[in-house]
Amino acid sequence: MRKYWFIFSIYWQEGLQQRSSFFVDRFRSFVVLISFYYLWTALLKGRSSFAGYDHSQMITYILGMSILRGLVFASRTYEIAGEINHGRLSGYLLKPINFFVYTFFRDLSEKSINLVSAIIEVIILSCLFHLDIRWPQNPATWGWFLLAITGATALYFLLSFMVGCWGFWTAESGGPRFLFELFLEFSAGAFFPLDVLPKGLQHALQMLPSPYLVFFPLHVFLEKLSPAQLVNGFAAQLFWLGALGAMTYWIWQKGVRFYGAEGS
Amino acid sequence: MKYIRIWYRLALNSYGVQAASPLSSFGYLLGKLVRIAFFLIFLSAIFKHTSALAGYSLEEAALFFLTFNLVDILAQLFFRGIYGIRSMIREGDFDYFLIQPVNVLYRVSFNMVDFLDVVTVAPVLVITYYVLKHIPGGINAHRLILYLLLTLNGLIIAFAIHIIVASFAVLTQEMENTIWIYRDLMTLGRFPSDIYDAPMRGILTFIIPIAVMTSFPARAYLGKLGQGWIWHAFFVSIISIVLSLMFWKFATRRYTSVSS
Repeated sequence: MRKYWFIFSIYWQEGLQQRSSFFVDRFRSFVVLISFYYLWTALLKGRSSFAGYDHSQMITYILGMSILRGLVFASRTYEIAGEINHGRLSGYLLKPINFFVYTFFRDLSEKSINLVSAIIEVIILSCLFHLDIRWPQNPATWGWFLLAITGATALYFLLSFMVGCWGFWTAESGGPRFLFELFLEFSAGAFFPLDVLPKGLQHALQMLPSPYLVFFPLHVFLEKLSPAQLVNGFAAQLFWLGALGAMTYWIWQKGVRFYGAEGS
Repeated sequence: MKYIRIWYRLALNSYGVQAASPLSSFGYLLGKLVRIAFFLIFLSAIFKHTSALAGYSLEEAALFFLTFNLVDILAQLFFRGIYGIRSMIREGDFDYFLIQPVNVLYRVSFNMVDFLDVVTVAPVLVITYYVLKHIPGGINAHRLILYLLLTLNGLIIAFAIHIIVASFAVLTQEMENTIWIYRDLMTLGRFPSDIYDAPMRGILTFIIPIAVMTSFPARAYLGKLGQGWIWHAFFVSIISIVLSLMFWKFATRRYTSVSS
């Protein structure tokens, strides 16, 4: 296990070394945060609630959304397709490491840097605008929230790892990945709470794994779920983890057999 | 005429590059369309819970969003070449452009034409026409001309910003990410500038004129932009294009080649 923590440490250092890319990434998140903060503030002006969210709940959702974007969506799995296409995967396959665990720890370093930065941004914004945050009333909620974000992080990792594996079959996975990430961000509730959308669309999205990435954990934090809904949510997250885990394993096995090490 | 021929040739080259990776291009194209569709769904969903956003109806708010998309997509379509200025400098292409009998800024700006944006802009135009028809008063020739002039004005400001970014790249051989900072700031123009508080609105009108580029055309069409602000918009574009060209000249004069 020590070698994987070493990988974590190397990528952490690398992440901090490429400062301009890091700051631009964070700037992007900050702009999203600012624009949605102003949008919801304008919509809540002169009214006590909007789509079932009062002012503090909506502000908490926006800030939480920013933190979860930093944690859940920060990833380096986009490098997998390039590693396959250029034959660099051969190097990993020959080393005494598990590539899946290696990429997980590489992702973990990216996520931790972004998480720290997102928390700092949220604190700055909260101080600047004197924001009223809705903290959980029940201490147990913190435990459930931690569990939900752990599940969300694992779920996104599986999804993005699987998309990275498309590199085994095509050198043109950049476009499909762009589409996948955009769709996932919107359908996860990473721009706005999904219950703002029409009921039919909400039900359709609930059948996908994406709402369990941002929307569900934030609903847990806001204590908007009944005990039955909480159980259902975790069951669905667990189901998707199992299904996507099995699918990712199957695709990886197929892909490695198909891999021709071109370019190495 | 020569410049039109050059643009046509560069556009054909770009098309060839994009057509060589059809799956990837299709993914990017669909992604761009999905993003627009999702935001329109989001806007219409918001109006199921309220009748106005900062005093604007659904059609009016949609006009702001579509105008933002028009300026953003057209800027990407025409000035995409500037996104690759750093690699042009590092790989020596920029030196090559300098000795060609063509304006180097023109050559750099139009080095790549993103054909995916040609496809993306078509539905945006259709929806904009639909929205304009459903705004009280319908399509009014006088207001439409003002709207188009201010949209073009926004595009000129976008070009000025692209020139400034390119000039920084020529001076420092870095600033690769500067253009992405501009793109991120542009997203603040997705919604009417009226949603922002006074200091933020001031920044977006006078310092980084995103509101002038994206909100002013829509506000003019809706009859909510005073004469003074219309002149302000044209003044901003003239000043920014003049200053950016001066900066470009300054940067290229100091360029001593880093490659080739």
